[in-house]
Amino acid sequence: MAKAALFVTCLVDLFEPQTGHAAVEVLDRHGWQVEVLGNQTCCGQFAYNAGHLQEARAMAQHFVEVFESSDADALIGLSGSCTAMVIHEYPDLLRRAGQSRGDSSEESESWALRAQAVGERLVEFGEWLHHEESLPLPAVKPETVAVHHGCHMRRILGSTEETDDVLRSYGAQLAEYPDAEQCCGFGGTYSMTEPVVSTKLADAKRTALSQAKAAGASCLVSGDWGCLLHLSGRMQHEGDSWPVLHVAEWINQREKMSAKKGE
Amino acid sequence: MEHLPQDPRPWPVRRDTALQDTVLQTTLTHVTHRLNNARIAAYRHYPSGEAARIRAIARKREAIQDWSVLLDRAEEEITAHGGHVKRAATPEAVGAYVLEIARQHSVKRVIKSKSMVTEEVQLNAQLEAAGLDVRETDLGEYIIQLAHEKPSHILAPAAHKNRQQIQRLFVDTVADAGEEVSEDIQELTRFARNKLRQDFLSADMGITGGNFLVAETGTVVVITNEGNADMVTTMPRVLVSIIGIEKIVQDWDALEDIIQQPALSGVGQRLSSYTTIISGPRARESWEGPDEWHVVLLDNGRRKIHGGPYQDVLSCIRCGACLNVCPVFQQVGGHGYGSVYSGPIGTVLSPLLGGMDAFGELPSHLCTMCYACQEACPMDIPLPHEIISLRETAVSERREPAAVRTQYRLWGQAWSTATGYRRSVTAARLAQRLAIRRVGLAAGWLHTRTMPFVSSVTFLEDWAKKHRRGSS
Repeated sequence: MAKAALFVTCLVDLFEPQTGHAAVEVLDRHGWQVEVLGNQTCCGQFAYNAGHLQEARAMAQHFVEVFESSDADALIGLSGSCTAMVIHEYPDLLRRAGQSRGDSSEESESWALRAQAVGERLVEFGEWLHHEESLPLPAVKPETVAVHHGCHMRRILGSTEETDDVLRSYGAQLAEYPDAEQCCGFGGTYSMTEPVVSTKLADAKRTALSQAKAAGASCLVSGDWGCLLHLSGRMQHEGDSWPVLHVAEWINQREKMSAKKGE
Repeated sequence: MEHLPQDPRPWPVRRDTALQDTVLQTTLTHVTHRLNNARIAAYRHYPSGEAARIRAIARKREAIQDWSVLLDRAEEEITAHGGHVKRAATPEAVGAYVLEIARQHSVKRVIKSKSMVTEEVQLNAQLEAAGLDVRETDLGEYIIQLAHEKPSHILAPAAHKNRQQIQRLFVDTVADAGEEVSEDIQELTRFARNKLRQDFLSADMGITGGNFLVAETGTVVVITNEGNADMVTTMPRVLVSIIGIEKIVQDWDALEDIIQQPALSGVGQRLSSYTTIISGPRARESWEGPDEWHVVLLDNGRRKIHGGPYQDVLSCIRCGACLNVCPVFQQVGGHGYGSVYSGPIGTVLSPLLGGMDAFGELPSHLCTMCYACQEACPMDIPLPHEIISLRETAVSERREPAAVRTQYRLWGQAWSTATGYRRSVTAARLAQRLAIRRVGLAAGWLHTRTMPFVSSVTFLEDWAKKHRRGSS
């Protein structure tokens, strides 16, 4: 039995644990044994993007230590952005941060290589599911949904089509809306340090999404809780209760519906 | 004079002014979408364009790396063709040199083609202060000159104005008494063209920027979509070309690939409508062209960038593609940046040229780290990483409020260990129970968005409880 270590992410752990539980159920249904490393915290992207390199370094080193201890066949990340951070930013971050605090180049390089090795085993949830064979379950009736891909899923991982394919294979009809590739304005702590522009961008995204809603989309689905918390936070503030779901939750719902139908 | 002009209004004022400007909001969305869609379509219809782009990047990076040798070569060639070269370190040096030439030739009226570098050195203000009459001849630059404004887009300087505003501006500034001015775009253009004809014919000096300086032949290349540079370079008696030293290109072979990029990425054309090539003043046997040609090579902080971590930014060809895709630019426009260089490239270039004291807030406040600029940049300039790096500089120079710095430090320390992370969960729950939520960074979130509560049982807590006996 293949084993997956779940990279839960801090946002899922703290605010949206149901996403973690949904991912575990999906992994389980696909025959994977799930490992959850209890010492995991946060990838440190919030600090890295804000220019706090040494804080980011400390979190990155912790992440590397935690996940390299696992013998799992794959590390599966529940966020496109955090997954991109580990795979694409860690090695260079650890080199630069080590250099700037005066570590020896051997030590920095060793951290960079360890991070690279961890990154090579890491895959984002939607991408992982794209590589899985589909379950022998009966199809359930199609559902129209709106999808928002985080910018790092789109532009750093480049894996938006994989997630779209997966969603379609589970009967999703993806509602179109203008400027879908545009940032929602979250931007990590940018949402807190520059709330005016951040909120304006959330509103622009909501205006665009209203077309998907008008086309019958039942909910907004994304592989990133960063974007979703920002957008749903804005929606709730404005009295809009349109549901938002992580990809893992939506897939889990569909698998459950199929399984029930197959009984 | 400062190295780079700076809008004295602080960022929140610039931001809110832009967000409340309904005309700006409409014209910006229109302009950025139109140019961006044109860019995407242009590359799609040009299958071998990607190979040309990749070659362009390689040649441009080499040219920047070897710029000392190439600039010397260009200077030799220009001089051999009868041109004069001036190396200028600062904006004042440019102004002083141009004024001296103007004095020697008794110049009264100056016409200019579009040039960001002359915006950078505030040349118009310098010349006007000495009593010269300066006229911009690019339509967008003409409009903002009449309005006494700065460009709001590197490529489309008047992108913030609609035709009604332009009509009123023409009536108020250049129309003769009783002269009718239509709001129709073609009519507005015709009106400006008629006015500018008179300026072209009466000018004594022409000033151009330069998109490229070809070292092997000492040739300045200016691309436009209006053809105005053709007249600026041929009609007046004296011609001055002012060029940032990073515009150097080694040879015509490299130029062939590089010259396509601003057209493709800027306006979505295979080539700009006009390519103006200047290789020297009028030859003795020739009828056309200026009597004298001066080339001013401007440093103004560029050499400081060379050889450092931001060297790639010197490959910028000023196409504006990064502006058109930037979510923040689309909201606040060029004036939001308080610098003549706006958008993602301005966010990097402005603090590098103009200093962190003046422009240090741009990297922190005008970027959501969405990477759209990097995807759009034809020269593959790693703008997001450069912005992160400038944020790191701001942090290490302690430009953030102390309270913010402390929060990041404590947050980072706590979350570097599992124990610290668990403690922070407990602390957050306590704060929630005491209804202390509007504190620190979180306060910035809460004004406009609902904040989720830390779950009563986090995922990791739940997992630990269920798997306490070690069976995962």
